[in-house]
Amino acid sequence: MFLPFFEWCDGLAISQAYRQSLYLFALTQSLHLVAVTTFFGAILIGDLRLLGWGPVAQSRAGIARSAQSVLLWAGLAVLVTGIPQFTTHALTYQRSPIFVFKMCLLAAALAFTATLRRRVAAADEGRLPSWVPRAVGAVSLALWMGVTISGRLITFYG
Amino acid sequence: MPSIVPALEWLEGLAWTTAIRESVWGYPMIETAHVASIVAFAGLVIMMDLRLVGLAFTHAPLAQIQRRLFPWQIAGLVPSTATGLLLCCIDPMRYYGNVFFRVKLALLALAGLNAVVFHLKTYRRAERWDEDPQATATARLAGVVSLLLWSGTIVSGRLIAYNWFA
Amino acid sequence: MKTKILLVLLAAGALWSVQPAQAHHAFAAEYDEKKPVTLTGIVTKMQWVNPHGWIYMDVKQPDGKVKHWTIETSGPSQLSRRGLKKADFTDGMSAVVKGYQGVKDPALANGRTLVLADGRSFYVGSVGGPNDGADR
Repeated sequence: MFLPFFEWCDGLAISQAYRQSLYLFALTQSLHLVAVTTFFGAILIGDLRLLGWGPVAQSRAGIARSAQSVLLWAGLAVLVTGIPQFTTHALTYQRSPIFVFKMCLLAAALAFTATLRRRVAAADEGRLPSWVPRAVGAVSLALWMGVTISGRLITFYG
Repeated sequence: MPSIVPALEWLEGLAWTTAIRESVWGYPMIETAHVASIVAFAGLVIMMDLRLVGLAFTHAPLAQIQRRLFPWQIAGLVPSTATGLLLCCIDPMRYYGNVFFRVKLALLALAGLNAVVFHLKTYRRAERWDEDPQATATARLAGVVSLLLWSGTIVSGRLIAYNWFA
Repeated sequence: MKTKILLVLLAAGALWSVQPAQAHHAFAAEYDEKKPVTLTGIVTKMQWVNPHGWIYMDVKQPDGKVKHWTIETSGPSQLSRRGLKKADFTDGMSAVVKGYQGVKDPALANGRTLVLADGRSFYVGSVGGPNDGADR
C-alpha cells in the first residue's frame, strides 16, 4: 500500500545522507526522543487533569491551554527530527504490519486529541457530567500509550 | 579495589537471567515497559521543569504544580527503575562495558541529586517561590539544570545501542 | 488557527509514529552497505540473545588462513518469527551468511541471510538495514 510514496521517500537525498552518515542518525534520533518525551509529558499532564488528578487546583481549560503550546512546539521538533528517520527506512516500514497498526492508532489518537479531547478540556467546569472528562482522559492515555508501545514493538516483532 | 566483574558474570550465568536474555517475549516486554515508563516519568519532570523556568503553565503557582505532579513522577520512577535494574541483571557484562551506559548512570545520579537538593532546599518555602525573586531565580536554575541532566540521561540511554566504542 | 494546529499535530504524529523508537540504531553507523560479503565457514558459537544475536564464524580465506568473523543478527523474537530455533545452531556446523561488512571493523558483519547446511535459508537481518530485498 502506498508503495510509490515509500519508494520516493527512500530515494530522497536526505535518506541517502542519513544512510551514509555515522553520527547524523544517532544525533537526530536522540533529539527526537527528547521531543517525544516532552510531547508525551504534555499529553499526560492534560490527561491526568481530565481524570481529576494532578494539578486539580487549576482548571482543565487552563492546563489544556498551557499544555497545547508545549504540544505544538514539541510536535514541531518531533516532525523536524522525525522526517529524515522515516524516509531513510521508509521501505522497511512499508512492509511492517505493526507499523500499519501504529499508524492507525496514531491517526485515531490525533483525531481524538484535536477534536473531542480539545472540546472537553476547554469546557467550563461544571458544564459536563463528571464522567465525561474522565472517560476522555482515559481514552487519550490509552491511545497515546498504545502509540508509544506499538512503536517500540516494531523492532522486536517487525 | 575488588572487581565487580565476577559478580556480574555470576549474574549473567543465572538460569533466569539467561532465560530472559534468550526470550522471545520476556525481554521485549521488559524493555518496552522501561521505555514507556521513562517517557511518562521524564515527560512529567520536563513539564515541571518548564514551569520552573517560566516557559509553561505560568498561570499556576509553582508550588501547586510541583506538589501535584510529584506523586505521579514517583509513580513513573518506580517501574522505570525496576525495569532498569532488571535489564542490568539480564545482561550485566554488556552494560558494564558500554561507555554510554556509564555516562547514563552518572547523569542519572546527578539528576537525582539535583532533584533531592531542590526538594530539600526549597520545598518548605514553596509558597514563596512565586513572590520571592530570589527563590524564583533558584527555581529557574534548578529547572535548567534538571532539563539538561534528564535530557542527557535520555540521550545517553538511547546511545547505549551504538557499539562505537566497543 | 484550528486547522494549523490540526495540521501540525497530524504531521508530528505521523512522524512520531514511524520513528523506529529503537527500531534502529542506524545501520550506517556501523556497517557499510557498499561492502556486501558472503561468508562460508564453520559456526563456532551462536549467541541467541536479545537485543541482537551474534554468530561467530571461522571462514577460510583464499590464502588458506582462517578469519574469525563476528556477525550481528536480529534477536530471538524476529528469528523465531522467521522459523529459526536456538536448536538449529550447533557449534561446529557449517553455514553460509550473506551480509555487510563493518565500517571500522573488517571482521564484523551485519548478517542478512543465513543458509544452513540442510539448505534452509532464513532472513536474519534487523529492522532498518539496506533495502536489498533480503527480507522478502
